[in-house]
Amino acid sequence: MSTHKAPAPTTAGEQSTPLLSRLVEGLSGRYRSIPVLFVLGLIWLYFYSRNSAYLTSTNITNLSLQIVTTAILALGIVFVLLVGEIDLSSALLSGVCATVTAQLAIKSDWPLWMAILGGVATGLVFVLAEVLAIIFGVPSLIVTLGGMVILQGLLLVVLPPEFVINIGGTDFAKISSTYIPSGWAFVIAGVGWLLFCAARFRAHRERGAAADSSALVSVGVPAVLCGVVVFGAVAVLGEGRGLPLPVLILVAMLLIASYATSRTRYGTHLYAVGGNREAAQRAGIPVSRMVIYSFLVLGACAAVAGIIEASRLLAVSNSSGGGPLMLNAIAAAVVGGASLFGGRGTVWAALLGALVIGSINNGVQLLGLSTEVQSFATGGVLILAVAIDVVITRGSLLPNRR
Amino acid sequence: MPDAATTVERGELLLELNQVSKYFGGVRALHDVDLELYRGEVVALVGDNGAGKSTLVKVISGVEHPDSGALRVRGEAVRLETPRAAQSAGIHTVYQDLSLCDNLDAVRNLFLGQEITGGFLRGRPVSRHRMEQQARDVLDSLAVKVRSLNTPVGGLSGGQRQGIAICRALISDPSMVLLDEPTAALGVSQRAEVLDLILRLKSQNRGVLVISHDLKDVQEVADRVVVMRLGSKVAEFGRGEYTSSDLIAAITGAHEAPRSPESN
Ligand SMILES: Nc1ncnc2c1ncn2[C@@H]1O[C@H](COP(=O)(O)OP(=O)(O)OP(=O)(O)O)[C@@H](O)[C@H]1O
Ligand SMILES: [Mg+2]
Repeated sequence: MSTHKAPAPTTAGEQSTPLLSRLVEGLSGRYRSIPVLFVLGLIWLYFYSRNSAYLTSTNITNLSLQIVTTAILALGIVFVLLVGEIDLSSALLSGVCATVTAQLAIKSDWPLWMAILGGVATGLVFVLAEVLAIIFGVPSLIVTLGGMVILQGLLLVVLPPEFVINIGGTDFAKISSTYIPSGWAFVIAGVGWLLFCAARFRAHRERGAAADSSALVSVGVPAVLCGVVVFGAVAVLGEGRGLPLPVLILVAMLLIASYATSRTRYGTHLYAVGGNREAAQRAGIPVSRMVIYSFLVLGACAAVAGIIEASRLLAVSNSSGGGPLMLNAIAAAVVGGASLFGGRGTVWAALLGALVIGSINNGVQLLGLSTEVQSFATGGVLILAVAIDVVITRGSLLPNRR
Repeated sequence: MPDAATTVERGELLLELNQVSKYFGGVRALHDVDLELYRGEVVALVGDNGAGKSTLVKVISGVEHPDSGALRVRGEAVRLETPRAAQSAGIHTVYQDLSLCDNLDAVRNLFLGQEITGGFLRGRPVSRHRMEQQARDVLDSLAVKVRSLNTPVGGLSGGQRQGIAICRALISDPSMVLLDEPTAALGVSQRAEVLDLILRLKSQNRGVLVISHDLKDVQEVADRVVVMRLGSKVAEFGRGEYTSSDLIAAITGAHEAPRSPESN
């Protein structure tokens, strides 16, 4: 990686930068998702060449359901990473929240929506306790590590003595088994796509004469790309059983998060806190409040992820939120392009990363390889992604600091 | 007064400090400091490490509060409780260590904490195009050149970054700009750039107070030099009234040593 160091000093003062270093800069900044998409393409090609069942609509539907939990959890983790913190407890928190919801919905016969609110409230209260300790000054690594152990105990407390609640056949189970028929899915996708085009066009027109690119580049190209991805996905899923409700929930959450982080003042402040806390403070940004917000988002995401996962697995048990979920979610966030050092990456990292991790896991299972291979692959991809993150954040691209 | 001879015509009196003192525990960081800052002039603050220069700037910018003494802004007594209060009094400070967010682009850095936003119901969306226009105006007004307003400032040169940091102070059009060691850690040409910026601030008819350790810089840009030692103001020279050795003597206290007990 040190080969990248050579062109860096030229970036410093000169007006004209060599193409190569500009390319590297672009790929690590605005176009950070392109290399990830490339890797994703390679993974799909590889597994497809080994087994053509990999890219059937049935398997893609499966894959999309498998990644939703990881992606939603990763979305929460991206918010926490953006302000320069880390979290290790959210996977178990998702298990606890799901259990609370199951208890309320099934054992206490609450209406499902109230039970869900109960689960989300549990998540919010727990992360609030964690984040207060973090603001007090305890490093988030320690707080959430401790939180993880506490949650392991808490899970046993909220579970009934038999350690499992079956939710098969209830309304709860329908969350994950609801499919939106192809026709409606296309309507939803169409409305979403039109809104996207309208927003792009408006942004372009507001810039007016100051725009440095033509309408074709700043509106047309993104609109076509977005259309291909959205309608393509809907068409493929529609060939199977339709658009799974959890996928729709994930996309809705991503869109809201994307708007909040990239278009609003809140988003700018979030990145500022992750980039340079001191500077943010001096600029009058309420740093502690921004950290609290991020953890609250994580708490809500954990609850939603847990509820969807429970509904997919038709039960909550003492293994809910356990296993590789935590590692997968962190890996997804980082692989997708969120920096462990704070302030870099977009919320779409959660989706892209979860797709990469999920595609590997799905493919390994499809090929009937042993789970060891899956562990090796996921762990390796995580370390590789962090290595790239280190080079981007600390390496050649920031000549002024090391 | 020797002052009157050199100063042709002074602008409005912007800032006046009267007998300002500040203690940190037993450390006397500032002792009975008097200081004036006029419109359209550059005042340099020099002194050895620990002389109290940064503390003085912090007192003026509302970060620290004086233990005794009075501050007047345009003739009115003020208490600058917070940096915000100082900003609304027209005082903007560029700190020694820049205070830029490397991961944000120039526009976002310039407007950090004072973004132009839309309605609350839409989640306070930032008006990117308006911010970009204003950013261009401000950067142009000081002739700061950046390759692109949309790339993170982490990749810019030290001089460009300092330029952005200074422009950031101008977003709210302050009448006074305080700069704490703006040329420290800069190369030769970049230092010249920043000195140019300071002169442009002056020509925009603002009052500029600049801390510097570099006496050559000071001689180049300052209309007045205020020398501090151990928390006290020990000397003040108008432009052309001093030589480097006068400055050094005042800073180190070489010639003043015998006189200092009575002069304080
Ligand atoms: N927050 C603080 N707490 C305690 N002492 C302080 C504090 N800030 C400054 N001091 C002390 O006040 C004195 C003046 O410090 P100041 O930072 O103003 O010096 P300076 O002239 O800016 O020095 P330098 O050239 O090194 O920047 C020093 O003795 C310093 O130790
Ligand atoms: Mg200082």
